[in-house]
Amino acid sequence: MSIYKDSEYQVRTDLADIHASQLDQLGAPGTWGTGQQRLAIAAEARKAGYDASVLEEPKESGAPIEVELPEVARNVVRHLAVSPKDFNEAAYNNARSGGLSDEEYVEIVGIVARISSLDVFARGIGVPLRPLPSPQPGEPSRDRPEAAIREEAWVPTIPNPPEGGEAAEEHFAGQPKPYIVRALSLVPEEMHRHVELEEIQYLPLRHIMEPDYQHHEGFTRAQVELVAGRVSALNECFY
Amino acid sequence: MDYNLEALVNPDVESGVAGGKELLAFSDAVIGPDRATLDNARAALAETLGAAAVPAAAAIAATFSKNDRIANGCGIPADPLILKLTKDFREQIGLNDFRSAVNTFKHFPGT
Repeated sequence: MSIYKDSEYQVRTDLADIHASQLDQLGAPGTWGTGQQRLAIAAEARKAGYDASVLEEPKESGAPIEVELPEVARNVVRHLAVSPKDFNEAAYNNARSGGLSDEEYVEIVGIVARISSLDVFARGIGVPLRPLPSPQPGEPSRDRPEAAIREEAWVPTIPNPPEGGEAAEEHFAGQPKPYIVRALSLVPEEMHRHVELEEIQYLPLRHIMEPDYQHHEGFTRAQVELVAGRVSALNECFY
Repeated sequence: MDYNLEALVNPDVESGVAGGKELLAFSDAVIGPDRATLDNARAALAETLGAAAVPAAAAIAATFSKNDRIANGCGIPADPLILKLTKDFREQIGLNDFRSAVNTFKHFPGT
């Protein structure tokens, strides 16, 4: 049964399925955070949204959060969740000097970005935010790709081929990828989850250069890019 | 078909896109602080473009809500080829004034 069965608008099965999967995965141990910690990040992002009135708190929010995030993590989460337009290098530097590792930071960015995505969708179709799942036991993998280095971004990234070597072969299918794909590559699991959402919510990336490609029935590419461009302008996303 | 990209920064301008006015209003409202405005924008979008436009537009707004946080949160620069192709219209519609532009211009000044 669809995660969006309460919606008056029909939601494509693949989209509902990926959202259900991604919500569930938030409760699983990640690369640097436990399931509890990852859910705490998602919950804090939502709380920031309630406080800023850009999200409405649902009656059923899900399992109670039983860990407290350190203040440095809460600051990153809250700022990025509700004001990405003025999130700057000083905010990143404060996070690092406050004790977050680059790896933890990237996982936080990935989680905040994805829960924001799921929540904007729910709000857009007029349903309450989906309840967060219960945490799953287990420890994070702490699997850092050795190939990740400081390039032009604030955070280390796996370089494109050939510099990225085996890691680029594994994670980029041996093809050069734009920075929006590589941005989270220090935590490959987050990068893959981001791309997974991209391919279903936006369009399959192999079609991105086709101006007439239609991924959403009855919705033209021009309409897609108008919404995309406007949201990004409001978030002052120069990229 | 000619599209007016200025509509991205000034939604009062005619974009040239079918249902553009309703799509822009929905985009603003779905990430904005007024739920009543969003509910009205959603209804207007469905009325103008059909019910299927609502989950479609919501999915796109959701996608770029994600991408903008990743880009601004990781400080990634835009690609030099894209900078070359967009130089004129970036200046024309003020994209270079976005606060995150610094993440690009510190690596590629004058582009």
